[in-house]
Amino acid sequence: MAQVVLEEVNKEYGSVRAVVDVNLTIANEEFVVLVGPSGCGKSTTLRMVAGLEEITRGVIRIGERVVNRLPPKDRDIAMVFQNYALYQHMTAYDNLAFGLRNRKVPEADIKTEVMHAAAVLGIEQLLSRKPRELSGGQQQRVALGRCMVRHPQVFLFDEPLSNLDAKLRAQMRIELKRLRERVATTSIYVTHDQVEAMTLGDRVVVMLDGRIQQAATPLVIYNRPRNRFVAGFIGAPAMNFLSVELQNSDDRLHAVAENFRIRVPQDRVGELSRQRTRDVVLGVRPEHVLMGEPRPEHGTGFDANVEVTEQLGAELLVAVRVGGATLLASRIDAEATLVLHQPLRLSLDPRGLHFFDRKSGEAIR
Amino acid sequence: MLLLIAPAGIVLVLFQIVPIVFGANASFRDWQLFNPAQTWVGLKHYLYILGDSTFLTIVLPNTFLLTFLSVTLSLIGGLALAHYLHRNFAGQWLMQTIILLPQMIAPVIGAMMMRWVFNDQFGVVAAFLDWVGFGPISWLAQRWPSFFIVILTDVWIWTPWFALILLAGLRSLPREPFEAAQIDAAGAWRTFTHLTLPMLRPVIAVCVLIRSIDAFRTFDVVWILTGGGPARSTEVFSIYTYVETFVNLDFGRGSAAAIIGALIILVVAGAMYKVAGRVADVAR
Amino acid sequence: MMALCAKKSDRRYRWTDALAPGGRRALFLLATIAIVLLFLGPIVILVVTSLRPGWAVFYIYRGTDFTLQNYRDVLATEAVMHAFVNSFLVATLATIVSIGVTVSSGYMLSRFRGPIPRAWFGTIYVFRTVPYISWVLPLYLVCYHLGIYDTYAGILLPHIAVHICFFSWIMKGFFDGIDPSMEYAALIDGCTRWGAFLRVALPSAIPAIAALGILSWLYTWNEFLFALILTGHNTALITVTMAQFVTELGTAWNLMSAMAVMAMGPAIIITLFAQKYVVRGLRI
Repeated sequence: MAQVVLEEVNKEYGSVRAVVDVNLTIANEEFVVLVGPSGCGKSTTLRMVAGLEEITRGVIRIGERVVNRLPPKDRDIAMVFQNYALYQHMTAYDNLAFGLRNRKVPEADIKTEVMHAAAVLGIEQLLSRKPRELSGGQQQRVALGRCMVRHPQVFLFDEPLSNLDAKLRAQMRIELKRLRERVATTSIYVTHDQVEAMTLGDRVVVMLDGRIQQAATPLVIYNRPRNRFVAGFIGAPAMNFLSVELQNSDDRLHAVAENFRIRVPQDRVGELSRQRTRDVVLGVRPEHVLMGEPRPEHGTGFDANVEVTEQLGAELLVAVRVGGATLLASRIDAEATLVLHQPLRLSLDPRGLHFFDRKSGEAIR
Repeated sequence: MLLLIAPAGIVLVLFQIVPIVFGANASFRDWQLFNPAQTWVGLKHYLYILGDSTFLTIVLPNTFLLTFLSVTLSLIGGLALAHYLHRNFAGQWLMQTIILLPQMIAPVIGAMMMRWVFNDQFGVVAAFLDWVGFGPISWLAQRWPSFFIVILTDVWIWTPWFALILLAGLRSLPREPFEAAQIDAAGAWRTFTHLTLPMLRPVIAVCVLIRSIDAFRTFDVVWILTGGGPARSTEVFSIYTYVETFVNLDFGRGSAAAIIGALIILVVAGAMYKVAGRVADVAR
Repeated sequence: MMALCAKKSDRRYRWTDALAPGGRRALFLLATIAIVLLFLGPIVILVVTSLRPGWAVFYIYRGTDFTLQNYRDVLATEAVMHAFVNSFLVATLATIVSIGVTVSSGYMLSRFRGPIPRAWFGTIYVFRTVPYISWVLPLYLVCYHLGIYDTYAGILLPHIAVHICFFSWIMKGFFDGIDPSMEYAALIDGCTRWGAFLRVALPSAIPAIAALGILSWLYTWNEFLFALILTGHNTALITVTMAQFVTELGTAWNLMSAMAVMAMGPAIIITLFAQKYVVRGLRI
């Protein structure tokens, strides 16, 4: 069992900086998810930990060892690939056994290990089949089994669920969580799917352009995003952004835009007043856009024009027009009767307001 | 739409089907220059050839040996060269050009070159042997040395073909299984035998099939290097047929030899096709 | 960035990774030297020989006398120049005609189902395996009877017949690789079936056809057996003329080398300047 430490890790391809100054400490048995859009450097980071990419600068430690110069086989890691990377011409059993055979483990021990892993994953019946005779989910399990039999110090996952269809993916997510409890191992998991990131990770690391934007527990990432990118990337439907001007009137601070004026909650005034600029971006998640007037102590609501409604059964998604901007409200009562192009009185949940610097995109705290 | 294939069809019929019928006809007749009657002789030519000890003990073994050795050695050489080219290095293009050249120049020229290289008095090999202190070897005056040079030349010409096709095969292999093998601590040789070879198996099967059919009918290399000599000891099927027809001017016997050869290769190719299909299937 | 990932991934696991970097480099260098010696060596020797005066051929590893006289002599020989012109004409015409004929039949095979394409494929497949010698013999008789022996038609038509066999099948492959929905779109946009073929399918297949054309040209230029049997003095081709020199003036290696160097000129030029097409062509 081991912790993984990345110190000032950089990866450059010529003049392109794919990974920039990544610092990250992953505790023993912690499950960390790297998430970001494609090309953000998350896979490259994972592959550097695996030893499949050279490290341009910086240090990677697994346990107490610096592994920069170690080949993959000596790092005591195991990896699940996006397309499983099963050996197509070997049976599932041989796929699981291959790594152990390479390490000259006695055949009897191999059998024990493989049968144990197969039992945990529920693939005992499939061991004599070849990968092409298995479904996507079954291949996925074989790929997991190949990692488990080796009892490595670290599991690496490179978008392992992205080849599965939506339903199977949800199911495998749950199985992965269950597996984590039975086989507690330090894990790094790369995905572009923020739902996977939120549901699986003890800690989520959001990356963009090779840099870590924020590394924190899922709830912190969701409730206190450090910048506009993280706020917009995590959460579905995505956060609404509205360019507003801060105005002082009647001893109160207001956020004002065209046809829009809300009172800034008292506990946020301090941090906003410290800002030099008056032009900020207001972020609010769709579930924090509410129908009707707020409670009186929270000021007044605003008028919006209903543009599109989407009936989801449990709730109603409503896109409304406010001045020049569009806002999405998600938690509208499914039974509500809304008329298109008619005004609708809305308010914002004061606990769900985020303010960002308009230039840097940093959260104002 | 039939019009689309009409021109091709006519040429095909006239120059492929008609000649075969013609040849079959000739093989049953006494078709020689001094016999204008072209008497029907039935299976006489076939029986002659199948009883001809030169054909049975020299020509056929030579043909199969040449086919087998040439294909095997070119395949091994091709695999090695494909691995050599399968990397990024300065001069990769240049090396690929050099490797391609033997395949691109005429086999006749290739054979001529080898004849010159192995010339027993002035060839570079003779000079080299002289330098290390061996006497000259009359390569083309004995059976096995001659045969060795024939095979060497054929391998020299065809290794590039294998190399280029296998290189394309290597390049199209997915990368992840190899990375997984790296993490699984598979050594170099194990990676080659357990991953590369099985994954390349379909390509290899097709290459070997095509090349075997071609090698069976080798003519120009043998003709230029040895002409079937010394004393018919390196004759292969194509040479035997040619000699019967154009040197002995016996069209009937030549045609019969041609048809026997064609039947043999059809059977062999059919069997190989089955095996290749199964081999390729196993790998999938 | 995805493109970047793809690029860096060119570096796959190789068996040499098991060696220390220094040892790997030495091994690589050794392999490079061996390849150059084996594959380029004979060609270089031939070129050097072609530049040596007649008397110096026998001491080609000593002395520094070089001359272009051999080339002058070869160029002054009418028979040789005649053969060069013939070879060029035959290769060019055979290529153009076969491609022109098979473009349409290949397209038909690719786009239409039914008994004709199947019968066509069967014919082609069987002829692919028939040894050339079995076929060129009766072909000689056919040409003789048609009165086209030793005319351009007598060598062109058989070549075209061979090409048709392969090409229509290869072309089918090209067109199989082109998504027919483009043509359906063209049909809906008001093209006729012919228009869809000429304006949509054909242009997409041009690079592949170019590769095929280049290789077929070179193949005909290098071809020996047909040339040997189906041509006489009028239409003598370069490979046969060269082979005659080998047997007739077996000792004039300087002249023969000069002729061989000239004859492999096209191959070298094509390898150097059209390698992309060659590599593509070899794979089909």
